[in-house]
Amino acid sequence: MRLKSFKIAITFCFIVLIFGLGYVQIFQGGYYRQLSVSNCIRVVPVNSNRGRILDRNGVALADTLAAFDILIIPQEVQDKERLFSFLSEVLDTGRDKILAVYQRRRIASFAPVVVAEDISREKAIVLEENKFRFPGLLVQVRSRRYYPFGEAGAHILGYVAKMSQERIEKFKEYGYTADGLMGYSGIEERYDQSLRGVDGGLQVEVNNRGQQVRVLGMKVASPGQDLVTTLDARVQQIAQALMLGQRGVIVVMSLDDGAILGMISSPSFDPNDFASDASSKRRAKYFTDTEAPLFNRAIRGQYPPGSVFKIPVSIAGLYTKKISVHTTFVCNGSYKLGNRVFRCSHVHGPQDFTQGLGHSCNVYFFNVGLILGPKLMEEYARLFGLGALTKIDLPYEEKGNVPRSDGLRTRRWSKGDTLNLSIGQGDLLVTPIQLTNMVATIARDGRQVQPYVVKTVGDREQPQGQLTRVIHLPQKVLDQVKAGLRAAVADEAGTARAVFMKDILVLGKTGTAQSSGNKAHHAWFLGYCPSTKTRIVFCVFLEYGGSSYNACRISAELLKEMKAQEIL
Amino acid sequence: MLPDLKKVMWTTIIAIIFFGLIALFSASSQNSRVTQEVFYNQLVFSAIGLIAIFFLSRVDHRKYYDIAYIVYGVNVFLLVAIFLFGYYALGAKRWIVIFGFNFQPSEFMKFSLILALARYYTDHKPSVSFYNPWSRPAIFSDFIVPFLMTAIPMFLVFKQPDLGTAILLFGIFFVMAFTAGTSRRHLGGFLGLCVLAMPLFWHMLKSYQKDRLLVFLNPNVDPLGAGYTIIQSKIAIGSGQIFGRGWLSGTQNQLNFLPERHTDFIFSVIGEEWGFVGSVIVVTCFYVLILSSLRIVEQVKEKFSHLAGAGIVAIFALQVIINIGMVLGLCPIVGITLPFISYGRSSFLVCILMFGFLLNLARHRKIF
Repeated sequence: MRLKSFKIAITFCFIVLIFGLGYVQIFQGGYYRQLSVSNCIRVVPVNSNRGRILDRNGVALADTLAAFDILIIPQEVQDKERLFSFLSEVLDTGRDKILAVYQRRRIASFAPVVVAEDISREKAIVLEENKFRFPGLLVQVRSRRYYPFGEAGAHILGYVAKMSQERIEKFKEYGYTADGLMGYSGIEERYDQSLRGVDGGLQVEVNNRGQQVRVLGMKVASPGQDLVTTLDARVQQIAQALMLGQRGVIVVMSLDDGAILGMISSPSFDPNDFASDASSKRRAKYFTDTEAPLFNRAIRGQYPPGSVFKIPVSIAGLYTKKISVHTTFVCNGSYKLGNRVFRCSHVHGPQDFTQGLGHSCNVYFFNVGLILGPKLMEEYARLFGLGALTKIDLPYEEKGNVPRSDGLRTRRWSKGDTLNLSIGQGDLLVTPIQLTNMVATIARDGRQVQPYVVKTVGDREQPQGQLTRVIHLPQKVLDQVKAGLRAAVADEAGTARAVFMKDILVLGKTGTAQSSGNKAHHAWFLGYCPSTKTRIVFCVFLEYGGSSYNACRISAELLKEMKAQEIL
Repeated sequence: MLPDLKKVMWTTIIAIIFFGLIALFSASSQNSRVTQEVFYNQLVFSAIGLIAIFFLSRVDHRKYYDIAYIVYGVNVFLLVAIFLFGYYALGAKRWIVIFGFNFQPSEFMKFSLILALARYYTDHKPSVSFYNPWSRPAIFSDFIVPFLMTAIPMFLVFKQPDLGTAILLFGIFFVMAFTAGTSRRHLGGFLGLCVLAMPLFWHMLKSYQKDRLLVFLNPNVDPLGAGYTIIQSKIAIGSGQIFGRGWLSGTQNQLNFLPERHTDFIFSVIGEEWGFVGSVIVVTCFYVLILSSLRIVEQVKEKFSHLAGAGIVAIFALQVIINIGMVLGLCPIVGITLPFISYGRSSFLVCILMFGFLLNLARHRKIF
């Protein structure tokens, strides 16, 4: 009997619950949904500290520092005169200057204006202590990416900047937030996922003025992972100094495992400029400059290799036994094909193979090229990795172009094309990293390794320096080619005599490549040092640099300086 | 009719446990504060629990009459023991370790008290005297003794401090007295007395308990402190709207903004992620379970089992109502778990005991 009252009471309570749910979820649901996601509750990101990028000796190439900015909220300022006098006193800058910055950047009365960026910690503390006396004054701490070496290595490191609209769309699903920073180009982009860590957030309720009312919750940020690269900060600096005012590339790679010790593309840019709002003008200039300072010529620039291509042509000839070291051709300074004249740099006279390669005699290689035919040269070019990505762990690598001898796009293959190809001209285009890798493959007796920059991510060793291909070449052929490469440096008349050093064994090949139009030639020198402490292969490339002699001179400086700093 | 009820009970119990596991998986899926371990523990425990209910439903309900006082005595003893051997967690001394398991005697007290009071009222039928309702012996045996039986564990639990369970124990007393047939006038007078004693009671509360009660009246009194939970919980449930934000997609839950979301506030997770539809389904399951249990109890003629069954159903219903009312902001936060769904071994185990008993009633109905 009494259970009936239970039933009634319980039923009543459950009806109340259902109504309660209906009220909260349906009637007020929109309001709470809004509270939950939009205006009133805002998730203020607490940025995780981006991982550092270190060189092989632990020197920081990219670091994350705390930066202090000074902000003024216009509508809250009470005594403008006093505030600006105080700021001028603390910041040690003219009052009018600060006021000018303030007026220029002011957008609306409620929007905070950044009047000074990245001030010293001491000054920030002084301002913070006096904040209460000056309503509207804010000191904001943010983490800032800092590149201690500035322009040296900018391309290989990349930079960090706010995401562009296009990227916001693309990466939305991966948990990137629109106002977040992201790595652009170089290591910063390629390893962004590892470097960035997981952003945390404060859940705050804000009022209609966008001011924080209270903190409702927080999620702690977890920092990104440090990267240890194979770079050597010293090599980067030496190379950067040598390329100052030049246009071109220096790549220094370990002969043993394809680790990049240094990679410089010039002209360069200062990645620090992307870290602050103040340098927006300089940033804009980077994007419009006709010299394209943001462009990493080492992996993206595609140029004719010129005489450097004579190395694979030599190997093709010797390996197929179509020529031998004793094959001799006479150089009269030019080669006539029909009514076209193909020139050589000098009148070399009779040349055997070693001389031909050492003196980089065009006429010699015209003859070799005609004997081999374009198909074989194309095959060997591809064998040594030209026309394909080296798969170095950097973004936006280009793969160059090896012309297809069985049919060009616009016309039929002619004998002239064969002559051009045999000395690395014509439609053949390569990137400096490809050529470096090609020379490294020969120096390693045919073992081709994937070049790489990043050795460890966090505490995980990366599976790097992978063997990509082994080209089986008879030791005799290798020795004969290497003798030619040695001759180029060691012979009195060798094209790379400028690189000759008493204390370092250098082998290499020059290249002077005709560029399109009437501009100066591109200058190449590709070389390697097989018996130094750190065995290296290196590439010096000067865009429109004139004679290859210029590249040789810089190569010599590079080696000398590296020796002086006991890297070699 | 009745065999169907048994099936209905089994179905709803399994459904509720299933929903609970899904919600718990979501509550523990994201991060460090509530680990996945929580889900797996509950999963294992649910499986064991269902088997246990099955076996318990084969234990003759009349046996409980014999052991009622012993169980009660042991449980009160354990409550005292807590003050000596118990350990602190979450700011309260509620747990005790027995045979390597830590559990909360206060949870079991709910069941023990129901048994003890059921036996008491079976042995001492309340006098329904029309001529002299205020006669001394009637009040003594109808009220004072059973109230003391309740007050002792209630006080011990309250001191732990565990306000929620203390309130439930009081509710048990009231429900049992009512079911046993104590005169309505007596009960009314007793309640009036309690209301009068409220200010006194208020002073006994810990300051955080006072805060919670004040916050219930106005959550914005202290939005970062005591009001935080209820604000977050209401935002979570409300933002679920009709169809919810989707399993594993509730931001309140997944971003850690809901505290205690695997225990007392698990229903917020359901409300946020499954919306009104899901919430109503879960609430309906509870309602069906409670009503079908009540139908079974109704048909039990034996006094003790009838009383105990009624007490069990009532306390179960009360927990569900208070818990959901609490996360909806309809009643103050007093720390009561949602049966079968909230994470917690002791609270789950008590549900198993209770429904083992009820299902046994369903089996034996024909005898009477």
